Amino acid sequence: MSGWFTIAKWEFFRSKLKFDSRSAILLTLTLALVIAASFAAAQTQMSMNQKIYTAASTEPALRPILESDQRFSYLPVTIYDATQFYMYGADFVIIGNNVYLGDNPKSAAAGSALENTVKEYREIVLTSYDDINNSHPVWVTVHDIERPQNFQLLSAQGAAGSLDTGRDSGSNERSHQGYPKGEITTEYLNAGSSFTLPQDISDLDDYKARSFFQKQTLSTPSFFSPPIPFTAILYAFLFIFPIYFISQFYSTSIMDERTNKKGELILAAPLSSRDIVIGKTLPYILVTLLIQAVITLYIMGIPADIRTAQSSLLILAAILPVVLLFFALSFFGAILSRSFKELTFTSVFLSVMISGYLFFPAMFTNIHAISSISPITLIVRLIEGETLLIGTYLFSTLPFYFVAFSAFLFGTYIYREEDLFTQKAVSEKITDCLEIFLLNPYGSVFLLSIIFIPFVYMTQLMLIVMLFNLPAPHSVIVMIALSAMAEELVKSAGIYTIFKRKLQLVTMRNAFRLAVLSGTGFFVGEKAVAVLTLAPIASSAFGAVMTMGTLLLIPLLLHISTAAVSSIVMYRFGTRRYLLSVILATVVHSAYNLFILRGVLFG
Amino acid sequence: MAKRARYCKKVRSIAKKEVGELMREKTFMLSVLIQLFIASFSTFLVIGLTSFYDPTIMGDIEMQGISVAVVGTEENELYKLLQESKINTRLYSDLTPAYGDFYEHKVDAIVIAPPGPPEGTDILNVDIYLPKSEIKATLISLQLKEPLEKFEQHVRDIRTQRLPGYSPLEININKRGIKTSSTYFEFIFVALLPLLVFTPAFISGGLVIDFITEEFERKTMELLLVTPASMLEIVSGKVLVAVAIVPLQALAWMLLLSMNGISIMNFFTILLVVTLIGLILVLTSSIISAIFRERGVAQLLYSMVLIFLFMASYLFTNSPLNLVTRLSIDSIGASESALWVGLYTLVALALCMLTVATVKNTYKNN
Repeated sequence: MSGWFTIAKWEFFRSKLKFDSRSAILLTLTLALVIAASFAAAQTQMSMNQKIYTAASTEPALRPILESDQRFSYLPVTIYDATQFYMYGADFVIIGNNVYLGDNPKSAAAGSALENTVKEYREIVLTSYDDINNSHPVWVTVHDIERPQNFQLLSAQGAAGSLDTGRDSGSNERSHQGYPKGEITTEYLNAGSSFTLPQDISDLDDYKARSFFQKQTLSTPSFFSPPIPFTAILYAFLFIFPIYFISQFYSTSIMDERTNKKGELILAAPLSSRDIVIGKTLPYILVTLLIQAVITLYIMGIPADIRTAQSSLLILAAILPVVLLFFALSFFGAILSRSFKELTFTSVFLSVMISGYLFFPAMFTNIHAISSISPITLIVRLIEGETLLIGTYLFSTLPFYFVAFSAFLFGTYIYREEDLFTQKAVSEKITDCLEIFLLNPYGSVFLLSIIFIPFVYMTQLMLIVMLFNLPAPHSVIVMIALSAMAEELVKSAGIYTIFKRKLQLVTMRNAFRLAVLSGTGFFVGEKAVAVLTLAPIASSAFGAVMTMGTLLLIPLLLHISTAAVSSIVMYRFGTRRYLLSVILATVVHSAYNLFILRGVLFG
Repeated sequence: MAKRARYCKKVRSIAKKEVGELMREKTFMLSVLIQLFIASFSTFLVIGLTSFYDPTIMGDIEMQGISVAVVGTEENELYKLLQESKINTRLYSDLTPAYGDFYEHKVDAIVIAPPGPPEGTDILNVDIYLPKSEIKATLISLQLKEPLEKFEQHVRDIRTQRLPGYSPLEININKRGIKTSSTYFEFIFVALLPLLVFTPAFISGGLVIDFITEEFERKTMELLLVTPASMLEIVSGKVLVAVAIVPLQALAWMLLLSMNGISIMNFFTILLVVTLIGLILVLTSSIISAIFRERGVAQLLYSMVLIFLFMASYLFTNSPLNLVTRLSIDSIGASESALWVGLYTLVALALCMLTVATVKNTYKNN
């Protein structure tokens, strides 16, 4: 206990000393400026589209309407000039009640912007009448109701045969289980939700103001909009911003000790490297969690009853794995990089990657169940007042805990003099931590393949986002090749380490044995992820696919044989040809996947 | 003159050292990768989400196989409007069978048409039941918006006559067959393009902090100062490298966008603006790092300044981001843009002098 505690205390006070009074004053000053500017920016409706369209008009009466929208700059013209509005750089001209557009995309966009402006102006005028029954006579109430989902998975197994049959049999089995009996009334369906229609015009503002942070349930048709995904991004930023900054300090502190070699003194002390890592990490994590707690209080308010207190705690529980992952990866990055520049790039790169993983699915909150792979979705749901099931929590946070834990583990392995204070190449350092893992009594390539699965899973998700820009069949083919490559890299990394460092005899027999171990490990892990991933989404419809006995043998054989390709190439040509071996294995793997998906791609 | 030539030579050799280190560490590639990721992520947003949230861009294909149950009567105005739209409707006289079909996925939403007449005085409430957590729910609510607005307009045409002195604003937009929505257009030119061209400038500002503080933390600054190079020359060399890579990356982005069919006007003025802003940011962060010498503190301060500048640019027309937008779609006159480019040049010059003064002041002994 005392070892890591001393380090933690020391780290805490040392990092406080970095801020002398001068930098503290400047920081507070810039913070105040940031707050003032954000506040002012929020007042101007947050947009940078000032004066992007030019509107020519012969009707001076329309000027205030056009200038109420900052996108337009107003250009008064005479009837004589009006026909040649484009000569004056205008995008459209208003003559009487008619609007004439130019013939380019910008003019078309300006026309569509004008349409919205006129609509908004009409709402403003109507709202000024205090007579809601005549000015806003139609209201829309949206209710979300559950029904059994019919979920289809476009996986290799699914495509292989069950596509046509799955749909029909699924809908027959499902009918009339849990279906309510008797007559259905609106009261029955609306149970639990209480919407009251607005009484007067001041209520209208309430409904409008609320729609930004809460799910819109009641509005007039003009304000009716599908769920806005961008609120989720806003939350994500609010929570993740402090994590960025503090993880910067954390990685700087580790890098610092490496460059000025003070870390050598600590390593010489009678402490295990585990104690040092825990001691150095804990203060930063605690401070971050404290900030997160303050943010939660700011959003949720001071908890009034058990329920809100509980959701506040659950929000913290959902953000914890994110914090851990950020710190784990910046820790690992700080150990791998050789200079501050490299560290900056690595940490920015990792932050962008994690943020992508967090933001992207969260945009589909309330749209699709798959959004719960991101903890940010959980936070959005909790803020909206929903409850959280333990299964959903585990589903979205387990990969985070897992990746964070293994990054810390591998980082601690090479938290020693020869890796910290020498200019070793990055690949050498990674081989070092794999070697230590494999030398461990419990370490084996089987386990290593399983450990790497969440990394592969996250990489593949990122690949989908990156490759979206390519045209359709190509993007799928590149995706197949790259994700096969990620899998092959992971499966062969352990074998590479064993052969390179001569942990076992480099024989044909061993090459084959290791390939079987690594391939099986990956297969077991992949299936475990599939079960975990799909369980909360569709428990019933997917069960059929999971139990297809014979079809599972083929992927198992595939994983083993591709691992064998790379391991035999390494055995035959030496570990220097590692890249070649991975590429060969990737080719085999992609060929199989393309064959399975041929119907979807070309048919 | 000779002194000046010597200064240039020393600055050049410092710059060469930094470029060499950048290339050797291959970290520069990582920065390009980051930008590539940001770009693909944003285009993913543009094309994926804006088309998803914009019913005019989306074709009729998505609505096939989706049908909506309407509970009401044949004569109901809302039912008629829904029939005219792209939505497949099924009429039910009662909620119970409609819910049964909803449960069995025969219909995907239920709309309860209000029975009250448009001429009445009560509020007409339309209840809509959507399947929770299904992508169809969003598709349907997108398609429902237009008929609902028409219905509102229909009822309003009757009822707003009762409002004293109200005359509706009638504006008739003659469309010319180009299908573009303002959301899509503005996303590309207001959000994506400025974000892409300025990211290199943001990164360079952070880069120069690493360049400078690294020398202090590794204690190599003393070594450099022993050489004939002065502190000012060292900083100038580092600033030069950081600024020089800004227009290169921005140019690459703009070429890439042009290849994707997004035409950008005033190409070179935009590059000039981006370079100027890059210079401003790099100078700001070199002042910060010359004073504080501590990487964590300097990076934190720089990020705060960056956020402040970003927020402040919402506040006025022709802020750098807005200027790039207006230049790219040719919405700004030549004299106005020249004025603002001149203004940013002045800011950069002032910062240049401030940097020289700070460096000379802080390191008098050298």
